[in-house]
Amino acid sequence: MAAGGVFARRGVRLAAGLVAGALALTGCGGGDESGGEGEKITLTVATFSDFGYEPLVKDYMAAHPNVTIKLRVTEFDQHHKQLATRLGAGAGAADIEAVEEGYLPQFRQSKDKFVNLADFGAKDLAKQWLPWKWEQSLADGGNFVMGLGTDMGGLALCYRSDLFKAAGLPVERDQVSALWTGWDEYFAVGDRFVASGSKAKWFDGVGNIYQAMMNQTPYGYFDTADAYVGDSNPAVKTAFDKVAAVANKPGMSAKLDPFSQQWNVGFKQGTFATLPCPSWMLGLIKDGSGPENAGKWDIAKIPGNGGNWGGSFLTVPKQGKHAEEAYELAKFLTSPDAEAKIFQNVGSLPSQPETLKNPAVLGFKNEYFSNAPVGEIYAKSGETLQPNYRGTRDADVRPVFGRALARVEQGKQAPADAWTQALTEAGKALGK
Amino acid sequence: MTTTTAATAVPRRRRRARPAGGRGKPLSYLLLAAVLASSVFPLYWTFVVASSDNSAIGEATPPLVPGGNLMENISRVFDSSEFSLALMNSAIVATTVAVGNVFFSALAGFAFARLRFRGRNALLVTVVATMMVPTQLGIIPLYLLTTELGWTGHLQALIVPALVSAFGVFWMRQAVDETVPTELVEAAMMDGCSLVRIFWHVALPAIRPAAAVLGLFTFMGAWNDFFWPLVVLNPENPTVQVALSVLASGYYTDYALMLTGALLGVLPVLAVFLLLARQIVGGIMAGAVKG
Amino acid sequence: MRGRLDRHLTPYLFVAPFFVLFAVFGAYPLLATLWMSLHDWHLINGDGGFIGLANYSDLFADPDFWNALVNTLSLFVISTVPQLFIALGLAALLNTKLRGRTFWRAGVLVPNVVSVVAVALVFAQVFGRDFGIVNWLLGLVGLDPIDWPADVWSSHLAIAAIVTWRWTGYNALIYLAAMQAVPNDLYESARLDGASTWKAFWTVTVPMIRPTILFTTVVSTIGGLQLFAEPLLFESKGASTGTGGSDRQYQTITMYLYEKGFTLFDAGSAATIAWVLFLIVALFALINFAVVRRTVASR
Repeated sequence: MAAGGVFARRGVRLAAGLVAGALALTGCGGGDESGGEGEKITLTVATFSDFGYEPLVKDYMAAHPNVTIKLRVTEFDQHHKQLATRLGAGAGAADIEAVEEGYLPQFRQSKDKFVNLADFGAKDLAKQWLPWKWEQSLADGGNFVMGLGTDMGGLALCYRSDLFKAAGLPVERDQVSALWTGWDEYFAVGDRFVASGSKAKWFDGVGNIYQAMMNQTPYGYFDTADAYVGDSNPAVKTAFDKVAAVANKPGMSAKLDPFSQQWNVGFKQGTFATLPCPSWMLGLIKDGSGPENAGKWDIAKIPGNGGNWGGSFLTVPKQGKHAEEAYELAKFLTSPDAEAKIFQNVGSLPSQPETLKNPAVLGFKNEYFSNAPVGEIYAKSGETLQPNYRGTRDADVRPVFGRALARVEQGKQAPADAWTQALTEAGKALGK
Repeated sequence: MTTTTAATAVPRRRRRARPAGGRGKPLSYLLLAAVLASSVFPLYWTFVVASSDNSAIGEATPPLVPGGNLMENISRVFDSSEFSLALMNSAIVATTVAVGNVFFSALAGFAFARLRFRGRNALLVTVVATMMVPTQLGIIPLYLLTTELGWTGHLQALIVPALVSAFGVFWMRQAVDETVPTELVEAAMMDGCSLVRIFWHVALPAIRPAAAVLGLFTFMGAWNDFFWPLVVLNPENPTVQVALSVLASGYYTDYALMLTGALLGVLPVLAVFLLLARQIVGGIMAGAVKG
Repeated sequence: MRGRLDRHLTPYLFVAPFFVLFAVFGAYPLLATLWMSLHDWHLINGDGGFIGLANYSDLFADPDFWNALVNTLSLFVISTVPQLFIALGLAALLNTKLRGRTFWRAGVLVPNVVSVVAVALVFAQVFGRDFGIVNWLLGLVGLDPIDWPADVWSSHLAIAAIVTWRWTGYNALIYLAAMQAVPNDLYESARLDGASTWKAFWTVTVPMIRPTILFTTVVSTIGGLQLFAEPLLFESKGASTGTGGSDRQYQTITMYLYEKGFTLFDAGSAATIAWVLFLIVALFALINFAVVRRTVASR
């Protein structure tokens, strides 16, 4: 439990004692809230964006009068970095902490800081989720349940039908989906689009395309035994080469960093025609493009296989005082019933087969995206997708390859050099 | 240490100082206007976006004219975060830190500049050396410490560590050295005046302008600090900067909302500046006269 | 008796608050950081064992560290030097008889109080590749647009512009405060000697505010070597890892520390960087004292 070594711990105590003494004189000091047995308790739920929990939490509190629930929302990166600091310090984390899929492997390395939800019988719930989503939450060969799955991010391809029309490409979503099966065809259509003389570029930037491709592979930089294979896995090299080949090709990439301010401007200005879009990205596209672009976006099938990008898990840090109550709440917030309600409230795609068959989910259409049947599109992609295994140290390596492609995109390096440098950097990051 | 010798070059006797560079010429106004325009533009632009709806941010050329959504955005800011609490917390933290820091710095600065005591130079060197300590870099042990004290989530986690700063002590030492005549302090000592009284009645009035500047800078620093508050506070009990991170929390950033929060967060600092401006600007001469 | 006790004890009481609080909240974390730097320390899992100076030898063998050091020095020089000179000039302007003095003085301080969120957004617009103001101006004179974050020189220039913009007014006010304490009779005698305003500035003003110049130089050096917020703002939101661009072209030492500690959770390495940075800053501060004292004194 102790976060520091003996010395560090003792040092903290000593320093703390000094200050506490000084503060006793001045009459300041922190209160220590501790509740006895059967008393009223407060549970805190920390997330990084609107998980749509507010109405659910009200219901829960009405049914459990002894429980008060506080929602804590912080910005995405800060949320995870803050969680890491607080786990390290052994205090300050919420009773329930959301962890996003991309961050999960890093936290899995520190599973001792989390409650094994299997202790409360989480394994009995396994069938609630799509098998791959359940698997993602496991550690220690399936004996340790890190968290309960919330949403997921099935992949699709968003495109600007007006730009397609101007370029002489099909506009109907089924016809567009029929334009490609794999990425090679997708880039070939891109060539046609560029040849039409459109001022817009074919896609937003290499970051998103590469991310989507990697999410379609069964495993990337690490094999399922968690050994580093970034330098030998043909899937990585193939994806890298394909993206690198078009990264600096005229007309192809708008060369925008995903989620940057310039990327937002790109939506509004229509500077690119397509981008891979997991379900949670639809809100960003809509808000970025603004009302004047309503009805111009549509959604087609993603080139290649189905894949998942994003989605989170509710974990229970060990440092909390009410682990069992926290688990009960997490169970409630991830129940099929709750997931259906959340989908209707904020549009997060459920990760549970039962909810995906729910007519309210299946029949949902998105008006902004030319009335695309998003419920059906994403529900289908969710059922058929191949999950991507992420190694424990995935986060140490993944950005290295992303940066390599960015160098190619910026015209600073040839693809082969970027690849070589990436391998060197990845090896270094892993301490080889 | 070198500082001591460097500072002694300052003359001890002061006459009423007056603006020295002569009258403002048209060219001066022109130059200043240019500087001011570039200084204020981002603030103005914050106001423009805060008064528009969110789509304004995506325009190729940013809008230059305010829109009509300011009131709506303001009420959204207060709805979607604990913003009024945040404003109050920031005010408490920044005011306490500024007052405490100025007071402790003035005490230490006075002692270093005008009192003789054993180990003075060694201690002064220590102060200057501590300025080089990148405090935010010891953030993990500092967090462990605040956790052990039970301060996590409470304002004292921000206030107490910021109550003193080497910058402040250094600054006030220079100020005392430049504005408080040694003769005066020595005369007061001969009269049997206690050191506390000398500090209060002789030193403090003379260094008021410098104290105002330090107070302003400390207030600004405490108000704008975001890394440490983000680590140690929770959104339930935020400062303005923490509340801003809540406003930025979605997958999609609502810039109109965020910049409205940013705008509301800047106004109190500007108010404090205007409050202290007379002290800082006019007071420097007044202080010099008394000296 | 009481008086002697007062003379001997009170000075220590005066300086005590600083030293007590600093010992707990400044020195203790620093020493704990030193302790961490000698261990294989994971941010979350904590102490993974004593490894001596291995973190240090790894750091010195790491080209990314030297890259970050060079970037930091480059950014420090191209932002601090112009910033202090402009601030000096600006202070001289503000020290003339002006109508609406408070207005002008408040105005120059605005960049320092505007929230970093707003600063990031505004400069993203200013240095944007496709729709940025600077590239638009370059286009007017027939130059190609520049992808500002992409290259070393362009990213450093842009970040230096942000730093200069944010901190010049702050330093100008410090200079102004010092200039106002310069006795007027010195200017009068300079004027009687037939010195121009320009010459009076260099022969009277600058030498008189020498301690303040020393002060700002030291403070700016310490701040400049710890440069963090501005380059981090320059990273786009989707990639706030502290890497400083696709080829680490604008990663500073503090960003490198941030990347190690909070992106890779390697607190031991982060602590090592913190300590090395501390030593570098100390070295620079000493050089500063020496150089500024000599150059200003020789005037």
